[in-house]
Amino acid sequence: MIQSLADGILVGAVLSLGAIGLTMVMHMLRFANFAHAELLTIGAYAALVFDRVFQGVNATLGAKLAPLTLTGSLVVAMAIAMAITGASAVLIDRFVFRRVREKGGELSMVFASFGVALIVRNVIGLIFGLHTELYSKGIAFAVVVSRDPLLLIKPDQVFVLAATLVIMLVLHLVLSRTTLGYALRAVAENPSLAQVNGIPLKRMIVLIWVIGGGLAATAGIFYGLTNHLSPVMGRDLVLPIFAAAIVGGIGSIYGAALGGMIVGIASSLALLILPSGYSPSVPFLIILAVLLVRPNGLFGEVRA
Amino acid sequence: MTMKRSVHTAGLGLVLGLGLVPVAGEAMAQSCTQKIGAVLPISVDWGRPIAETAKFVVEQVNSVGGVAGCNIELVLRDDQTDPKVGVDAAKALVDIDQVPVLLGSVSSGVSMPILTSVTVPGKVMQMSCCSSSTAFTKLAEQGKTDGLWFRTFATSRVQAAVGAMVARDKGYKSVAILYKNDDWGQDIGKIVAANLEKLGIKVTAQVALNDAQPSYRAEVAEALAGQPEAVYLALYPTEGTAAVREWLSLGGTQNMIMANSLKSDDFRKNVGIEYLGNAVGTDTSSPRTPSAEAFVKRYVEKFGGQPNGPGLANSYDATMIALLAMQAAGKDAKGPQIAAMVAKVTDPKGTPVTADAAGFAEATKILAGGGTVLYQGATGNVKFDANGDVSAPAVVWSFTNEGTKEDTYIPLEEVDAFVASMK
Repeated sequence: MIQSLADGILVGAVLSLGAIGLTMVMHMLRFANFAHAELLTIGAYAALVFDRVFQGVNATLGAKLAPLTLTGSLVVAMAIAMAITGASAVLIDRFVFRRVREKGGELSMVFASFGVALIVRNVIGLIFGLHTELYSKGIAFAVVVSRDPLLLIKPDQVFVLAATLVIMLVLHLVLSRTTLGYALRAVAENPSLAQVNGIPLKRMIVLIWVIGGGLAATAGIFYGLTNHLSPVMGRDLVLPIFAAAIVGGIGSIYGAALGGMIVGIASSLALLILPSGYSPSVPFLIILAVLLVRPNGLFGEVRA
Repeated sequence: MTMKRSVHTAGLGLVLGLGLVPVAGEAMAQSCTQKIGAVLPISVDWGRPIAETAKFVVEQVNSVGGVAGCNIELVLRDDQTDPKVGVDAAKALVDIDQVPVLLGSVSSGVSMPILTSVTVPGKVMQMSCCSSSTAFTKLAEQGKTDGLWFRTFATSRVQAAVGAMVARDKGYKSVAILYKNDDWGQDIGKIVAANLEKLGIKVTAQVALNDAQPSYRAEVAEALAGQPEAVYLALYPTEGTAAVREWLSLGGTQNMIMANSLKSDDFRKNVGIEYLGNAVGTDTSSPRTPSAEAFVKRYVEKFGGQPNGPGLANSYDATMIALLAMQAAGKDAKGPQIAAMVAKVTDPKGTPVTADAAGFAEATKILAGGGTVLYQGATGNVKFDANGDVSAPAVVWSFTNEGTKEDTYIPLEEVDAFVASMK
């Protein structure tokens, strides 16, 4: 029970991070981006490439920061991967979403995002192959926190949880305390009115994609660190991440963070009641339950 | 007249265009042609050689005069491993081409609907090279196959039995089972659990893993809860890698028993050979008999490569036995009559015949004289049980730094005795 709860929180941290980026993009650009999870894949693979490059250049960077399996090279690669993923998100918007936004409706955007997701997934599969990749082949053994009740935790997962909390705090401060944050929120509230007030809309959209992409990259790398990388990891993660964003309420960063935890914990605890094999149904049951009680999600606001 | 001819030409063109060219016998020109059907996944890379092997058998049989004085024409259709496509193809073969015998398919998921909705209602004998699900056995036990179903591929029962045998020989007292949540995984997982319990080994958990789950942590934790001495893995490499890494990192035992699906380089590399020292796998095998070696030699001569793909020896035997049974049943025999003759050509007390053109010619003579034959094929002396199932020898294997190595070979008799003791 305690173990399931801890597992749920630790697995949920990655979902939270992915959901925060998604909820921001969904709120500010007003469309459900099913290609968001592919940004996680882009980030994770970009980090893999640069991690290998740095280790090749300087072997000392490849040393593990005990007790984590995280290496110095991966930390540096992470920064570059965030930039690359942000840039990819901007490029995808420039070449696909912007054109669709100008000509088509909200539904066209959703379909376009499905198309983008398929293309990204298959391109990554073509380049890297369909097999599983790992940042570090060594297995990170879990640490026994308590014997009775049995509680095992992997150091990597604690790191991921802590990093997620820090990122959420920083994001909150930026959005609530800086002029830039006000501008972003204004665009989310009402794009036309924000433009009238002198906020450069195009630049704000670019910024949203950069932030969303950067967060997605972090989530992808953390997932790769605690699990593994594969070209279809985006496909595997897209539903739990959407569930987290919807449960939290579209646009709410804290909602997304909490939503991720809820989905993680519920999937983990579900095995205590449901037979194994049914756990993928849990995110959907949570969406249903939350939307029945609070149609805008836990923290969502009614939007005109 | 012109009209008739043009229809005829169009028909010929259609046949040529679809690639349904009869495999012509060269030695003797036959006055008549008998069609048999095959539904195989020829659009899949490993499916093509299975079909080529079947064609090879037909060529050999035609070279010694065909079946009951008629040239055999193998009408081959693709199923794309899709049940809907497979059923359509089988329907066309049975209704339009009026074949009395259908070879196929590979995937149990395709063979099953063909059997229940095409061949059994159409009274056509179906012989599969490669389907392993025990669902066919159950269907046959319920009498719903009308004795028309045969397969030359051992059921999952063999591998599950050998898995349990390994657990017993290693002296494990408790085992957890992780299985893939599909037909194959559920099938093999259930049988292994039953076998282990029969052997007095405690099954601490049976946990299903779905495809494409972002994390298997919760499932693995559930399997770990019973603190088993060993774990049985009926998984494919993708989820197998993720689950086993999670398993090991949470302190799970390195005593692993694996199904043949994990015989994979990706799995070995990504889990790490240092953790796989106590991991042993199971697989079915071709017997170590002269007739199996003769098949390999013939195959290499014909195709210029080793028969390494899945189901090749099985496809060879399926086709040859079907043709022998047709020969025994005589000209214009229908499906049920042919199916009834299968026992006559795989009779353990019959005269042994080899699995080639000469063997077929010899069998023809013996059958004409009222005798029975024992077909010694690419997968050994094929013997079907009452449900149309065959058994097979097994191997136990383990990982090495370079790949895998065979640890023990378990002969057919030993496998059969063990499977029987599990019932």
